[in-house]
Amino acid sequence: MKKPSWLFMATLVISSLALLISCKKKDPVPENIPELITRATITFTPSGGSSGSSVVVTATDPDNIGAQDIKVDGPINLTKGTTYTLTIQLVNGLYKPTDSGYNVSKQVEAEGDAHQFFFSWNTGLFSNPLGDGNIDNRNDPVNYGASVDKNGRPVGLITMWTTASTPSSGSNSFRVLLKHQPGIKSNASTSADGESDFDLTFMINVN
Amino acid sequence: MGFYFFGPLPSRGQKDCSMAVMGKILDENNQPLPGATIVIIQNKTGKVSDVTGTFQFDKLCPGNYTLEIKFLGYITQQVKINTKKQDPVFVNLQPEEKILKEVVVEDKAEQISATSNYGQLSGKELEEVNGKTLGEALRNITGIASIQSGPAIFKPVIHGVHSQRILILNNGIRQEGQQWGAEHAPEIDPFIASNIVVIKDAGAIKYGTDALGGVVIVNPAELPTTPGLGGRFNLIGNSNGWAGITSGMLEGGIKNHHGWGWRLQGTGKKSGDSHASNYNLSNTGFTEMNYSTSIGYHQVSKGFEAFYSHFNTTIGILRGSAVGSAEDLANALERDPPQYTMPFTYAILQPRQEVSHDLFKLNGHLIKGGNRYNFQYGFQYNRREEFDFRKGSLKEVPALGYKLFTHTLDLEWEKTFGKNRVSCRGLNGMMQDNQKIDGTQTIPFIPNFTNYSAGLFWIEKISLAKWELEAGARYDFRFYKVVGFDFSNQIFRSQLNFHNVSGTIGTTYTINEKSSFTSTLGSAWRPPNVAELYSLGTHQSAAAIEFGLLLDETTNQVNDISTTNFKIEQALKWVNSYRFQNNRWSGEISGYMNYIFNYIYLKPRGVTQNLRGIFPYFRYTQTDASFLGGDLSLVYQLSKHFKINSKVSLLQARDETLSDYLIFIPSNRYELSLRYDQPAMNALKNFFLEARVKYVAHQSRAPRVVTVREINDAKAQGVDLFATDNRNFDFVAAPAGYGLISLSAGISKPIKKSMIDVRISVDNLTNVAYREYTNRMRYYANDLGRNISLALKYSF
Repeated sequence: MKKPSWLFMATLVISSLALLISCKKKDPVPENIPELITRATITFTPSGGSSGSSVVVTATDPDNIGAQDIKVDGPINLTKGTTYTLTIQLVNGLYKPTDSGYNVSKQVEAEGDAHQFFFSWNTGLFSNPLGDGNIDNRNDPVNYGASVDKNGRPVGLITMWTTASTPSSGSNSFRVLLKHQPGIKSNASTSADGESDFDLTFMINVN
Repeated sequence: MGFYFFGPLPSRGQKDCSMAVMGKILDENNQPLPGATIVIIQNKTGKVSDVTGTFQFDKLCPGNYTLEIKFLGYITQQVKINTKKQDPVFVNLQPEEKILKEVVVEDKAEQISATSNYGQLSGKELEEVNGKTLGEALRNITGIASIQSGPAIFKPVIHGVHSQRILILNNGIRQEGQQWGAEHAPEIDPFIASNIVVIKDAGAIKYGTDALGGVVIVNPAELPTTPGLGGRFNLIGNSNGWAGITSGMLEGGIKNHHGWGWRLQGTGKKSGDSHASNYNLSNTGFTEMNYSTSIGYHQVSKGFEAFYSHFNTTIGILRGSAVGSAEDLANALERDPPQYTMPFTYAILQPRQEVSHDLFKLNGHLIKGGNRYNFQYGFQYNRREEFDFRKGSLKEVPALGYKLFTHTLDLEWEKTFGKNRVSCRGLNGMMQDNQKIDGTQTIPFIPNFTNYSAGLFWIEKISLAKWELEAGARYDFRFYKVVGFDFSNQIFRSQLNFHNVSGTIGTTYTINEKSSFTSTLGSAWRPPNVAELYSLGTHQSAAAIEFGLLLDETTNQVNDISTTNFKIEQALKWVNSYRFQNNRWSGEISGYMNYIFNYIYLKPRGVTQNLRGIFPYFRYTQTDASFLGGDLSLVYQLSKHFKINSKVSLLQARDETLSDYLIFIPSNRYELSLRYDQPAMNALKNFFLEARVKYVAHQSRAPRVVTVREINDAKAQGVDLFATDNRNFDFVAAPAGYGLISLSAGISKPIKKSMIDVRISVDNLTNVAYREYTNRMRYYANDLGRNISLALKYSF
């Protein structure tokens, strides 16, 4: 009995070894990473009869999920008493610009009924909308205009802003918050509902 | 590992007093009964049966003796023996309230040394936790707690340590799954077990590396060897979660083929959302579908067995615990009830886990001339997918997915020298392959890897009149070949080697027939888990990013291990237990000290900003940690029918390097129960009524609290709260202590050779709203409210 049992064991060892070695061994396939946002560009374009040049500010993340902070290429410098259209572009730089995964804002638009941008700023910066934005109170004014989802609720990829003619000075900020609210976006949902897809506070000057 | 060698030990002559008698104490289900006292009436010498129920008397003069066997709750028996007789003594003790069932089943407990500190669940105790997960069931053993994620995910914690620091043996095979995650529970169906043992010593040498805290051993019953059909069927319903659990087992021998036996077993569970005391816990349902089958041939001198089991579960994670950033986390921590609380449903959406585990095992033994050879081969396939909230077409795509293939081979040679020395030597080999499941469209959280491990051990046991001594040593090495992706989705490769030795020394001193003392000192090590070295990202919807030890702190690139100051984690654990038993009292008191050098843990390190917001991040870090504690279990028989049972588990753990506390250390807990037993009432049997009070203290030894709002505010002002103060922290304070009351009652009805058992129990009777410190759900929601459970069992 002793011999066959050792023989059996030897067979087992060899066959299991062979099994493991035989499934050798290609490199794993890299994944596409569609959910990342590596760059955000916000563009204030003069509109509604106002003139001047567009103001473009870009935020980039050098290491995606790594420990390094994002880099923002300066404050938003707007001209007082001017009407702007704000467009927000979100980009996933792990894709080529020709890939559909590159343009994250397009995906937000396609799923508008589960997304909403919220904003906050220092009171006195804008004459329209007035106030300090809708992050603290969802019913505070923000001009979503035609940027709405299929239920007619605001999305906010494109918004309208008129700077105050006598703006408040000092250190001011402008926060853009995109919430993912699958199944819970409603006429009452707030900036505290759902998960943040994008959340960044810019420095802003209106002169 | 098959069974024990019984039989008369060689004796030199008839006249000299060197005869030996060996035997085994079993309960009514033929499960070993450790801790029974065996006294030879004639010369008043006593022994206590060990974990396998085995006892042995040496140096007996030839002649007739009477053994008296006692065990609390069982009818005391006397057995006449003659030293000339060649057979070992098998004694089946009958519970005071139960009649003998005619099933001839040999025992099959994993052979545990008599010098171990252990606790176990078997017989009635195991039956009373039927339907619970392994981790939850084990909490009935003193010193064992759990790290929990909601109502269905329990990871066992032995004396304060868990995950890769405890070894789980499933039917003799080292369980290999994705054990690195605090929310990854062991993939084992406790219904396969007839006995579950927890060894609380470090470095239970036989089983390999990783046993820094201890070993959990899940033992199925031995297969039948005689013809006949047996089985059982369980049906359990729980009001909390409106859960249904069903489990069945059928076994038998084969006619005209003595020694052959087979078994089929299966379990199904379905639970909807659980309920806290005053709100629904949305998306906490789970399902489970398990089955196993085995066939074997057993004789004393040789035997083999083939076993296959499949485990499959889908577990929902509380919807309100899925958060996107520190801001969301701050909101979630302040809400009660949690966000997305909806009415009860059986549906399980995201976030959820889908896990399956397959085990195939072949084992055998051969006994020849005082030598025993064991071999065991196991193949395991573990598959894990985690589903999070994702956009559009990614909704049904797992965010994390891995396939883990493991081959293990264990060879063992045990030799008996004379009558008081046993030597056991063996080798263990493991080959493992981890592959990501393609298509998750995320940067893999852990890399692909191949792992080759091997170990050699040598254990010597010596039995003297009142002393049992055991010493052992082992050597192991592990080789990893790693291929993964870094933060920029670029491929990286590494090769790693680890090797080290473990050792243990233990002794049991039998003070008299009523008490014994066991002391064990063990040193164990473990190779780092790949997750501890290379983790990257967030998983299961947590608002925290995790970085492995080898990721560069500034560039995030993967470093070569030789350029880092990584050191192997090693533990030194000393456990002392005193067991005693007399007319009314029985119990066990134990104290332990576990010092873990280079303890690897996830340490909060700072806050990072990406375009989704700001996130706290954690880095795997090393420190020295100490665990000091004691367990007490006491039973007092008030009268024939009444019994008081108490359990106490005390623990204090420290980060010795930082003079700080560690997170998720179970707080002190106390349990007291009063039980009434009525063995026979006309046609009914085994009536019992039990009331239990459990008090879990507030964890006062918890790290400082830094709230998410404080982190966010500091970050907004450009302050790094952790730059100068690198102590551990928690987002919220440890919850208050709590007390829970539970009631249970049961009765049995024998029908010819079969038996129907009915049990009803109520947990959290007063529907207390509480939070458990070691339950990760505590950040978001209260723990479970009242549960009424009805269990039926039919056995034949």
